[in-house]
Amino acid sequence: MSLRHRIAGRFPRLVIARRNISRAKVRSILAAASILIGVVAIGAIGAGGAAFKQSQLQSIQAQGATSVYVSPGTDMEASHFDREDVKAIDETVGAATIVATEPGSMELITSDGTREGVSVTYIDDPRQLHEVERGGIPDNWRQSVVVSHEFAADRGVELGERLKLVSETETETGTVETEHTYRVVAVLAESQSFGGGGLFLPIEETGERQYSRVEVMTESTDRAEAVAEALRDRFNDRKDRLLVFELTSLVRLLKTLVNGINAFLAGLGSISLLVAGVSIANTMLMAVIKRREEIGVLRAVGYGKADIVRILLVEAVLLGALGSAVGLAIAVAVAMVANALFLGDPFAFTQSALLYLAGAVAFGILTSLLAGAYPAWRAANERPIDALRG
Amino acid sequence: MTRDTSDSEGAEPTETDREDQPSDAASATTGVILRGEDVTKEYQTGTQTVRALKGIDFGIAPSDFVAIVGPSGSGKSTLLNLLGLLDVPTDGAVSLRGQDVSTFSDADRTRNRKRAIGFVFQSFYLIPTLTALENVEMPRMLDKTPVKTRERAKTLLQRVGLGDRLDHYPDELSGGQKQRVAIARSLINDPALLLADEPTGNLDRDTGDEILALFDELRAEEDVAIVTVTHDAYVAEEADRVVNLVDGVIEDTGETAADGGHGA
Ligand SMILES: Nc1ncnc2c1ncn2[C@@H]1O[C@H](COP(=O)(O)OP(=O)(O)O)[C@@H](O)[C@H]1O
Ligand SMILES: [Mg+2]
Repeated sequence: MSLRHRIAGRFPRLVIARRNISRAKVRSILAAASILIGVVAIGAIGAGGAAFKQSQLQSIQAQGATSVYVSPGTDMEASHFDREDVKAIDETVGAATIVATEPGSMELITSDGTREGVSVTYIDDPRQLHEVERGGIPDNWRQSVVVSHEFAADRGVELGERLKLVSETETETGTVETEHTYRVVAVLAESQSFGGGGLFLPIEETGERQYSRVEVMTESTDRAEAVAEALRDRFNDRKDRLLVFELTSLVRLLKTLVNGINAFLAGLGSISLLVAGVSIANTMLMAVIKRREEIGVLRAVGYGKADIVRILLVEAVLLGALGSAVGLAIAVAVAMVANALFLGDPFAFTQSALLYLAGAVAFGILTSLLAGAYPAWRAANERPIDALRG
Repeated sequence: MTRDTSDSEGAEPTETDREDQPSDAASATTGVILRGEDVTKEYQTGTQTVRALKGIDFGIAPSDFVAIVGPSGSGKSTLLNLLGLLDVPTDGAVSLRGQDVSTFSDADRTRNRKRAIGFVFQSFYLIPTLTALENVEMPRMLDKTPVKTRERAKTLLQRVGLGDRLDHYPDELSGGQKQRVAIARSLINDPALLLADEPTGNLDRDTGDEILALFDELRAEEDVAIVTVTHDAYVAEEADRVVNLVDGVIEDTGETAADGGHGA
């Protein structure tokens, strides 16, 4: 007695169903194909959409969506933060990196003597924001300037070069211009973060060690949201002492939008599964009509109604599983293309992509089961004497 | 003896203890497998009522060979369906080893069919996707005893002379061979009663004779009672007893049986 026969003997219904399926090959393949299309539609749309969403989220996050930006509010006495204010903010946000800066602008005197406006960020240490690509930042970097990657690339600025900058100060008698010369000590690495361009000068150059912008950098958009909440709670209870700005609402909007579109498209895909269900039901109905006498014989020789129902349901589910399996393979392939395209890694499946894929398969099989129910019930309830007459 | 409980409980030991069953029942019902008393069957078609059987009595004992003959529409198949627990009488009682069939649920009847009765049909009704061997195994396929079932099926196919055709599919077999596979299939559960509806109807005389010879062997060796509906005089001649049905009643038995062949 072969092992195969022993194993097959343990799953008789599966064996019977498999044989029945291979009896009407074309019909079975068409029915399975209809399920396949539904599974591919749901799985590929869902998983592809998830990859797209993830890529959008990542780029938003790279642009600072995990940060909260704080400026002095309308009800703040001074228009700047001092060290104490920064310390208070730091205490409120807990485990997050605080970068206090003072934005400004200066005019650069180029080699041919023309002037050009450039944005300047006064900061304690530029390494809080960006990595250094070339050069180094000494502990005391007065008289030094650090330039962004873009600035260096655009103007061909080299390390060690001296930049002539003119600052303007408003006084009662008018605008006073002061010329400074700074040596380029470092070029920063490229970054997508917004407001990253331009020049970085030591905070001491502002004269008063004052900051008008604090960036709170967190791990995630969720953390950023919590930080923003905490800051508003603490400082903006009655007065607007802080202007708190974060991109998380934007992220939330994007999430809702993409999720909605995705669900809508997957819903359209589900309609194709509905059609597939009709196709399976039709196939099974034809099968039980064609096998009417055979089922009558089964009933006569001792197969109960429940046995007939189960055999036919297994058959329907097998059709669905067949279609779902091939459909899953195709959907995974499509999702991998989407992953490679949007996320740069074919295997970067997000959790929701996997859920969509699993859901598509579950839906495909469930649809087949439901579609097989009526034909199975009908076949089981036919009286054997009616089936066998004539 | 309160009917309701004793019937349902009585069904239990027969299932687990097949060997003892015939002797147990035999003591109670003097060896009769199946008994019918004043059996009436009516069919309702629209507003019309067709009385297919009009109160007939019968009893079938082990290794009986009964032929049912009669013109077309006389109620032969109806009677066979009642004997095979495929249907229940409108009036009167059919009892299987003393148990009233009308108290059985559909599931009970299915179970008892499987245990006690084998069926052979005029058009064989083999499953085309299964080999001869698998067709014979089919009634026991859900029992999950593949090894035992296969041994029994092989033995049966050898017994009906098809030991060399185990792996042939139905369309690779002749009519007589198909009917022999069907007979082997009907015997897989060791039934006490084999019901055949015109088993030789689609076969030539020589092949029909082979089937009759096989019936004789089975009765002698396996104690199987055989009830067959037939239009063939030579089949009726072989039978111990001939039931001549005319218009739902038993005319008389014996020599007039051959008339049934002309009537059809
Ligand atoms: N399911 C049914 N519904 C209505 N009438 C039926 C049914 N089965 C059989 N009959 C009628 O009962 C009578 C006996 O039929 P049947 O037992 O098939 O006769 P036979 O097998 O001797 O040809 C016939 O008149 C037939 O028309
Ligand atoms: Mg008939």
